[in-house]
Amino acid sequence: MSRELTIWLLVFAVGAITYTARVSFIALFARRSMPALLARALQHVPVAMLTAIVVPAIVFSAPGVLDFSPGNIKLIAALVASAVAWWRQSTMLTIAAGMAALWLLQYLVG
Amino acid sequence: MRLLACKPFLLPASMRKSISRAAFLEGCRDSLPMLIGIVPFGIVCGIGAIAVGASPVAALAMSMIMFSGAAQIVATQLLASGAPFAVILLSCLIVSLRLLMYSAAMAPYLRTLDHRWRSLLAFVLTDQAFAGTLQRFRDSDDVRANASYFLGNGSMLWIGWQFATLGGVLAGAFIPASWHLEFGVPLCFLAVLVPLLHDRVSLIVFAVSAAAVVALDAMPLRLSLICAGLIGIAAGVIGDKARRTR
Repeated sequence: MSRELTIWLLVFAVGAITYTARVSFIALFARRSMPALLARALQHVPVAMLTAIVVPAIVFSAPGVLDFSPGNIKLIAALVASAVAWWRQSTMLTIAAGMAALWLLQYLVG
Repeated sequence: MRLLACKPFLLPASMRKSISRAAFLEGCRDSLPMLIGIVPFGIVCGIGAIAVGASPVAALAMSMIMFSGAAQIVATQLLASGAPFAVILLSCLIVSLRLLMYSAAMAPYLRTLDHRWRSLLAFVLTDQAFAGTLQRFRDSDDVRANASYFLGNGSMLWIGWQFATLGGVLAGAFIPASWHLEFGVPLCFLAVLVPLLHDRVSLIVFAVSAAAVVALDAMPLRLSLICAGLIGIAAGVIGDKARRTR
């Protein structure tokens, strides 16, 4: 399957998933309330999933190679960005700080 | 603002009668601070889609139809790492679960609207639209005005999302790869994640998910993302229980 076709199939399949999730309690089963355990579990979805997405993009310097050394410039740039995110809670500033740190380190390391 | 004022007239006649133009415009206006916040995220989604080999039209279709930054990023990252179709779908399903939570929270306030209205409003339900309108729904019981406000707010966010994605598509096509613009993806998620880590249970969820995703990295089919996410969620549920019983 070509990459472009795969992407188009994903557009519609994932679009159906996101719309179903959105419309679920609003229109599909509007008369029911959410089971308590599900409601508690859902509260942890953002932190759990964001962590699982972000961490591998930062701590692996190459596929399968864990790198916690200062030589891993993505890790250092991400720490700088996290500090800014904690301090200012601004997406724009966080991205700017992280990218600036990455470019500076890239320049210094050569 | 003139163009925006025309927007309600794209709706079917029956719904046009039940819309409050003033509340719709108020919703549009109040979306502006949120719009500034989603622009970098939308740009990153555009860049990510181009980087993974999507055509500009497909990249825009992702934003128009999926209309979810988290699902779009997960889809592109997993595509880049060669995950199979089913795993990508399952991962997108899990990151979309939070929309269930918003849907459930909104449902009681929309119950008296007809089906068509509810189906339309659901399409523009996002993290930002939810955060920006829930308080108003709690404060006022004018369902017609509330729904119009929500529609105004949500449609502006949808339009803004498309423009931001277009910006990313152009940037991704013209800025050289050595700039590593795709690093904006994890940075964007860090910007959302870090402020959420303000209590002990969230920190536990973070630590457990992080450890799990690294430990499970060798799993086939890039299943590590789904498994680590579920393990983190389970840790959170257990953590809540431990805190309550103490």
